[in-house]
Amino acid sequence: MPAAADRAAAGGERPSGGARRWQPPLVVVLLAVFSFCALSLGTPYVPPHRLVAAVLDGDTTLAGIVVTELRVPRLLLALVAGACLGAAGLVLQEALRNPLAVPEMLGVSSGAALGVAAPLVLSLSLPAAVQPLLAIGGAALGGGLTLLVAGLGRSPSAVLLTGAAVAAALQAALLVLMVMADQLDLQLIYRYLLGSLSARTWEDVTGLWPWLLVAVPALVLCAPVLSVLRLGDEDAEALGVRAQRARLAALAIAVVLIAPVTAVCGPVAWVGFLAPHLSRWFDPSAGAVRWLPWSAAWGAVVVVVADVPARLALAPVETPAGAWTALLGVPAGVALMRSGGRRRAVRRGPAAPAAAREPLPGPRKTASGAADEVPHASASNHLRRDDPGCGGPGDTSAPPLRTTSAEDVR
Amino acid sequence: MTRRFTALAALAVVCAGVEVVAGRGMSPGVVWDVLNGGGDATERHILFQLRLPRLLVALGAGACLAVAGLVLQSALRNPLAGPEVTGVTPGAVLGAVTATALGLAGWDSPLAVVLAACAGGCAGAALLWLLAGRGRGDPAQTAVHGVLVSAVLGGITAMVLLVEPGELGSVVQWLVGTTEGRVWEHWHLLWPWALVWVVAAWLLAGPLTLLRCGDDIALAAGLAARRARTLALLCAVALTAGAVAAVGALGFVGLLVPHLAVAVFGADLRRSLPGAALVGAVVVCGADAAAQLSSRLLATALDSGRLTLPVGALTACLGAALLLVVVRRTPSRTF
Repeated sequence: MPAAADRAAAGGERPSGGARRWQPPLVVVLLAVFSFCALSLGTPYVPPHRLVAAVLDGDTTLAGIVVTELRVPRLLLALVAGACLGAAGLVLQEALRNPLAVPEMLGVSSGAALGVAAPLVLSLSLPAAVQPLLAIGGAALGGGLTLLVAGLGRSPSAVLLTGAAVAAALQAALLVLMVMADQLDLQLIYRYLLGSLSARTWEDVTGLWPWLLVAVPALVLCAPVLSVLRLGDEDAEALGVRAQRARLAALAIAVVLIAPVTAVCGPVAWVGFLAPHLSRWFDPSAGAVRWLPWSAAWGAVVVVVADVPARLALAPVETPAGAWTALLGVPAGVALMRSGGRRRAVRRGPAAPAAAREPLPGPRKTASGAADEVPHASASNHLRRDDPGCGGPGDTSAPPLRTTSAEDVR
Repeated sequence: MTRRFTALAALAVVCAGVEVVAGRGMSPGVVWDVLNGGGDATERHILFQLRLPRLLVALGAGACLAVAGLVLQSALRNPLAGPEVTGVTPGAVLGAVTATALGLAGWDSPLAVVLAACAGGCAGAALLWLLAGRGRGDPAQTAVHGVLVSAVLGGITAMVLLVEPGELGSVVQWLVGTTEGRVWEHWHLLWPWALVWVVAAWLLAGPLTLLRCGDDIALAAGLAARRARTLALLCAVALTAGAVAAVGALGFVGLLVPHLAVAVFGADLRRSLPGAALVGAVVVCGADAAAQLSSRLLATALDSGRLTLPVGALTACLGAALLLVVVRRTPSRTF
């Protein structure tokens, strides 16, 4: 709290303090309420006060079997998957300094889905342990291709457009597979591709643990680097972080987080977009280190919340959770991104009126001009192509005139 | 200019010829035989009831999508505004799928599908306008928001499909865009609609060329810019809806063919609009021929009869590669 008080005294950030205080209770309450919903609603309905008895009964009663063998693993899977996706989304967004750099936009999700769906359609029988590896291979292919072609974070919109192109190509490959599949396979694949948590058992949950053991320490190690990357490439390099290498490492961590989840329950879409923006909206002044756990928590909340209507909305038919997260996540995330940006701009207004629009404008421009003399053998190539305003997507207002005038000449 | 048109027309004829002979089941010699009046009943059926309508549908849909893309890019002054990235195509797919699932429209009432696709396309475009209304100045931002809109609309489409799983098999082909199994009904559905709106686009070519120069110049020349833009957008949505209802969401044709057309025919829409229609027809027809040829080769190589490559997958891959080139070649300042 003293740190918060300092910051409040320095920048006049009182309005965000209120939101920050509400974040932990809100997460806990939402998680508790929707966990009870997930465990007790459905057929058979198990009232909340009988849940404990049902679990203790174990497999002697019907309710006990349903709760322990179906609903508990499903809830756990939703929690773990959501946390992984939320954390991965934050890692990607921070590493690329791009609020829209989500797995869906970078081709990571489509790649992973392709890796899982291909053996299903081609009816190759593979051991279950290989599936996450295939998903990881696909995800790394998609994400790596995007980043390489786009020149590693050349500018936010270029990366996103490249990602959209790569994702579209991967989707086309997926659709070829789907057209080849027969009707029964097709249902299965379509459901899987939308991200569904139905009929997942304890085996699926336990299959995730080894990957988490790899990913969590890596996340802890990379969180401080992320907050340094936020300062901009030049400042990060001045502080001793190799920006491009750190970016690739962040992508690798995101792939390790996303791919196993995708292998088990399909690409639950746009959780990695909504969760980081939620955590940022509640606590705009904190850094990446503070956002990371909250982003994971919000990811878990989002998936658990979305899974309840997915299971119950059209009762006998299960709708995929991924469709719900896409429906709710995209509009909510965009709204949060908008309001968050406006709040930040308003808050920065009185403190530094010149720098309100563009984060870090002055020093970076001069730095990129001077960088060619600095012996950055690996980075100078990137810097020359890099435009000075890759801090955020809102800073490209004048240039469109140039293209159209070129067209007119033609 | 006339020479370029002639060359393109020749190319279109060549593509059409390849498309007619490319399919499975008949060798080129037999096709020639049938065209000269020979061949047995089955061969005649294959050529006249299956291949010819398929060829015509491919040509028509390609022309529609290309014109729609060029109109959109000119009206919005955004080089990245294709129907795919402005939410029009996903919206049209959603409209068509919803209408089919609700039983409002089937192949016995083909016009209803087109109208539903049209309404869906308008809804998609409106959604994008709501989402990116303020950031309209920046082309790449609008395109990125368009991807978000597509995600939302795709989610709703998925919901509809899972409520009505019986439709899934036929609709998946629609989602990717294919000319597989298109017959004369599809062509009779497509051509009157396409003709009306292509003529409308042609009438708008002059105003659109002015709009390309910017609102100030257009206003100074005495053009009601807003009204012209609204009409142009309506025209583009209608053309896209017609194409989607006939062949499904062919990836990236509407985004990238206009760039080709402008590169070949210049920025004067009175010339490049018909040019774009021609280029679009050539591209889709050629892609379809290539898809048929390659699926024939793949089927013999892998020895599996059910392997078919939908043309939409081919155009999407091709378009993705071209889009990468466009993004990389545009000076980084524009993005």
